[in-house]
Amino acid sequence: MNTSVPAAAVQQQFDDAPQQKEAAMLGMWAFIATEVLFFGVLFAAYVICRWRFPLAFVEASAHLDFSMGTAETAILQVSGCLSAIALRQIQLDKARQSALLLVVTSLLGVAFLVLHGMEYHGEFKEGLIPGIRYLQSGPGAREMELFFSLYYVTTGFHSLHVLIGVVLLLTIAMRTWRGKFCAQYHTPIEIIGLYWSLVDIVWIFVYPAFYLVGSAG
Amino acid sequence: MTQQDIPSLRSQLLVLAGMLTLLAASASVSRLSLGWWGLVITASLSVGQALLVLVVFMRLKSSHPALRMIAILAFAWPLIMVALTLGDYLTRSLLHAPW
Repeated sequence: MNTSVPAAAVQQQFDDAPQQKEAAMLGMWAFIATEVLFFGVLFAAYVICRWRFPLAFVEASAHLDFSMGTAETAILQVSGCLSAIALRQIQLDKARQSALLLVVTSLLGVAFLVLHGMEYHGEFKEGLIPGIRYLQSGPGAREMELFFSLYYVTTGFHSLHVLIGVVLLLTIAMRTWRGKFCAQYHTPIEIIGLYWSLVDIVWIFVYPAFYLVGSAG
Repeated sequence: MTQQDIPSLRSQLLVLAGMLTLLAASASVSRLSLGWWGLVITASLSVGQALLVLVVFMRLKSSHPALRMIAILAFAWPLIMVALTLGDYLTRSLLHAPW
């Protein structure tokens, strides 16, 4: 087994491959920190609104599809595991297996988006989308609107991240299949794995916040 | 990168099984009428799942200490933000205009 990093893989501003990898990982974790802050603001708004209007949040959450939300969570968790295994396989110099795992990961991301799109469609028909089609009335309807506003902003941005992740995963999978990465150089696979895990973590908190309010008010 | 640094397939799959178990527990607990306790339990189960992802799938366990520090700070700042904002709302009293 060749143990050296391909020379073309080391950019000119770095002394060597380990330094380049450390810089890439540090940059990615700094990016993750900004993403956590971005979603953190939305969660902070959620906490305040839920504290102020607990009953409206329970009622609004009951309109969401619990089983669909649970399935979406399971899909993301399985895909997160597959991206981690893809990294393992490239470290063992099994590029083809790694590429296939990345493709399956992205397909699960697509499945997540399709399920979420179906959810949005059902909610549109029910009239739950503030500013576009909101047909709820009666006591608590305005407070429920707050719940749905937070729900669409949070899940909308999350879905955008999933979509970006799917495109990146497919791009990296294609490059892996073509033999661009090996056991010695696979930083892009590690980076996309970190990004996909971030998407997974955000959803891990979105799921109970919006779908499991029902009787936990 | 040595062979020892590469996690075993078994450990990855065990973590996935653990995460799916925690997910099932969250979903089940939310169906019970536990009031605010339900929120506490489901939030704790979510923290457990997130930690598994961070430590195993994102490999923080074997990462450079600087990366671990950034990861801790990344999640600490939003917590501080939520705590301070909630603290304001919980302690604020309605002030009536004196006129």
